[in-house]
Amino acid sequence: MAIGPLSVSLAPYVQSSKTLLKWVQPLANWYANASRYRQYGFKYDDLLVEENPTVQRALGRLTPREAYDRAYRLKRASHASVLHAPLAKDQWTKPEEDVRYLVPHVTNVVAEDAERAKWDNIVVKKH
Amino acid sequence: MFAARVSAARNVQRVARSFATAVESSGVKVAAVDNNGPTSSLTVLVKAGSRYESQAGLANALKNYAFKSTAKRTALGTVRESDLYGGVLTSTLGREHLALTAEFLRGDEAFFLDVLSSFVTSAKFTRHEFQEYVAPLIEGDAAAAASNPAILAIELAHLIAFRQGLGASLYAPSHPHFGYKDVQDYASSVFTKDNIAVIGTNVDQAKVTELVNKAFASASSATGPATSASTYFGGENRIESSSGLQTAFIGFGTTGAPSAEVATLAAYLSPSPSIKWSKGTSALAAAIPEGASVQSVYLPYSDASLVGLLVQAPTAAGVKQAGQAAVQALKKAASGVSQEELTSAVAKAKFAAASAADARAGLVATIGSKIFSGSDLSVASTLSTFDAVNASAFSKAASSLVSSKPTYVAVGEVGSLPYADELGL
Repeated sequence: MAIGPLSVSLAPYVQSSKTLLKWVQPLANWYANASRYRQYGFKYDDLLVEENPTVQRALGRLTPREAYDRAYRLKRASHASVLHAPLAKDQWTKPEEDVRYLVPHVTNVVAEDAERAKWDNIVVKKH
Repeated sequence: MFAARVSAARNVQRVARSFATAVESSGVKVAAVDNNGPTSSLTVLVKAGSRYESQAGLANALKNYAFKSTAKRTALGTVRESDLYGGVLTSTLGREHLALTAEFLRGDEAFFLDVLSSFVTSAKFTRHEFQEYVAPLIEGDAAAAASNPAILAIELAHLIAFRQGLGASLYAPSHPHFGYKDVQDYASSVFTKDNIAVIGTNVDQAKVTELVNKAFASASSATGPATSASTYFGGENRIESSSGLQTAFIGFGTTGAPSAEVATLAAYLSPSPSIKWSKGTSALAAAIPEGASVQSVYLPYSDASLVGLLVQAPTAAGVKQAGQAAVQALKKAASGVSQEELTSAVAKAKFAAASAADARAGLVATIGSKIFSGSDLSVASTLSTFDAVNASAFSKAASSLVSSKPTYVAVGEVGSLPYADELGL
């Protein structure tokens, strides 16, 4: 069990064991499809809770292209929500496109905040 | 005051200066000088000056990227840990060398060499750091240069005099065309073992040598970027500037290793007084109008030198008057000087070279100019070249310099500043 960037996650433990991964992966894929965010053109990282300073700093590190695409996906999905229907099948996110583009930045920001807190509270002893 | 504080035991050790060069098995040159001072310094000198950049402004960007995240510690970690040790980190860019310097208390050389070497061997060059930290620094440098007409004049003079290589500016253009990846590529091309030297003051040479061996073991062994030998062209140019004084640079360049004769010429021309509040004894000092200033400029590089006079005044008419006096002084130097004047000029130049080597920064610059060519590093060898300057060598050097094409740059109100022929060039 590991504390992920924003929540508790068992993923690192599962991924460390080949047999466990073989059993859990098909279940995980089914769940991702069943949650139907891909039918609205989203990638998983578009759904991360962004109303906190950590993710806001991480969003600042996206390239202009990534930021533009993210805004486009949100706009497209909002339109689908207004129409009360998912997008046409050719616009659904393919599983191989569903890359975690934001989580590495969030992890880095969390590590940097932790480092800053460590340096701010360090106790230096001289021998 | 310091002598009273230092304990008797420490007084006994470390009396001798050491001037030695060692080419390491890892290929990095190391030199160390021990002056018994309380603080030490380490400078990693890299042949990554603006002369070697493949695109305008890359060398400046690399200088501003110094001490950001590396594989070993983040930018914050570097700053905080250095703070706890009480060290000062600086990065400076010259036309031939990039210098990464750490000044610290005696005994901390292992940590600070690690900080400096980890930038050279494992800097991360992340995109967000470029955007958030480095790009504003590059803009700030360029803005500071653009508002200082003396800097503008010297940069343009180099461009006119040397064109490529030494002609490249120390500052980035106002709208640079490179990104963080270009800086990373430039860094990997210049951070090679042949291009790196480590110069220490108040450190033990053997200890630093051992630390350098370990620290730079992972540096690339490729050859650095090639640069063609400098050629001197000369010419005239002027640019508009609305801040600061009206400025003109009148100078000449030579190719070849820096010579004591040219340094003596710069000292001879210099109107700056040796005594405060006096006007100075040279004829040039007497001919400069009130409010104007003339400074002697002597910029030696490994295979070329630029020498001349920087004239500044509040009005263009003042620049014209002071400029005419400056050109007169240049021509007089070429036509022949008395033995007394020559002796005082040689003494002035020798003192300037010696006092530069007294301070840490000057000492590193003196060693740095010779360490890559493998010549004798001692200050005594630099000073002994001045003893060989006699009247015939001096007039020969001066006349060949003055008969070449001059470099004339005017910065300020371009409509009213004088042209080269109006000054007598």
